[in-house]
Amino acid sequence: MAGIKDLGVGIGWRSEIDLTVERLPGVDFVEVVAENLHIGHLPESVTLLLERGVPVLPHAVSLSLGSADQVDLHRVEHLGAVAEAVGAPMVSDHVCFVRAGGLDSGHLMPVPRTRDALDVLVANVKLAQRNLPVPLALENVAALLEWPDGELSEGQFLAELVERTDCWLLVDVANLYANARNIGTDPERFLDEIPLERLAYVHVAGGEQNGDIYHDTHAHAVLPEVLEVLDELCSRVAPPGVLLERDDNYPSDTEIAGELAAIRAVVNKHRG
Amino acid sequence: MDENSLSSARERLAARQTELLNALLANGPAPAGFDEQRLGVERLALLSKRRGIVRMLGPAVADELGDRFRPLFDAYAAEHPRRAGSRAREDAASFAEWCRVSGELSEKRKPRWKFWQSN
Repeated sequence: MAGIKDLGVGIGWRSEIDLTVERLPGVDFVEVVAENLHIGHLPESVTLLLERGVPVLPHAVSLSLGSADQVDLHRVEHLGAVAEAVGAPMVSDHVCFVRAGGLDSGHLMPVPRTRDALDVLVANVKLAQRNLPVPLALENVAALLEWPDGELSEGQFLAELVERTDCWLLVDVANLYANARNIGTDPERFLDEIPLERLAYVHVAGGEQNGDIYHDTHAHAVLPEVLEVLDELCSRVAPPGVLLERDDNYPSDTEIAGELAAIRAVVNKHRG
Repeated sequence: MDENSLSSARERLAARQTELLNALLANGPAPAGFDEQRLGVERLALLSKRRGIVRMLGPAVADELGDRFRPLFDAYAAEHPRRAGSRAREDAASFAEWCRVSGELSEKRKPRWKFWQSN
């Protein structure tokens, strides 16, 4: 795919850590949360990164492409406008639903892995793609609960989604780890089942074990076990990019730099 | 796939998703087949995320409420699940208003009357 061959190692740009992102060495690309940006008023820090030639990829959290409802095209349009404003080669959102029955969950909820849900998701994704100026990548989410009556594994579900929509995949290895802990997904089987040639890039994030539940908080350190899932992925394919997400409880620059270095070490280990 | 079967799929999926969000956000009954304990975990996770956002958007309200912030917010949230299309800022404002109406929060400080602006 043109323009996204090698992104390197990146971090999610957040206004709270804008200076950190600017001054950290080894930030090859960043992601911005599309809903937080206003066209015509890009944050200075994002403009600065763009001037330096750092790719900026818009990441959306509100398209709710897995909702039974029709896609809200205003949200798609905004995402497309952000992509154009930052000259992004690609945009992304999640395989999830946020809203249903007039309610907003405020979070990325898993969809049932049924034929019905897949058919609706495919139709929604195709409509979004027709209204976006650049390719769309879709990310696996972390689930705390499992829908009953799943007909497909998560990997099969995503593989068929890619086949039918030609979308790209954004694989979140922390979510894979979370699902392994919380709902018994097998990360290796997942990686066996998805079309790795459609991998756009990878997310890594921290979380916290609380009793028998692992919470994908993006507010704690990255666990070594999550880097092991990244390692497993890298043993199968060289990911075009790997991005660290940190959304709260921001640590020192040194700590963030350490996490980026640890990610880079895993990626490089397989690049011989 | 044809439009008819797609719209039937949408209807069936809508019913399931609505049932789940009602259970998680609006004290609806647990949908069949779900692990009840996990529904509870998810309910708390969603509530905690929403509470954190409202706290972040309205730190003055949270400060004034102190220890009462959490139980009050949780009571408010159960009565007022977030509506699709609403914004987080509206949620924070509506919580503050709910606290004022129930006497938990002082009235918004009115601008002081200034004699030189009185005409």
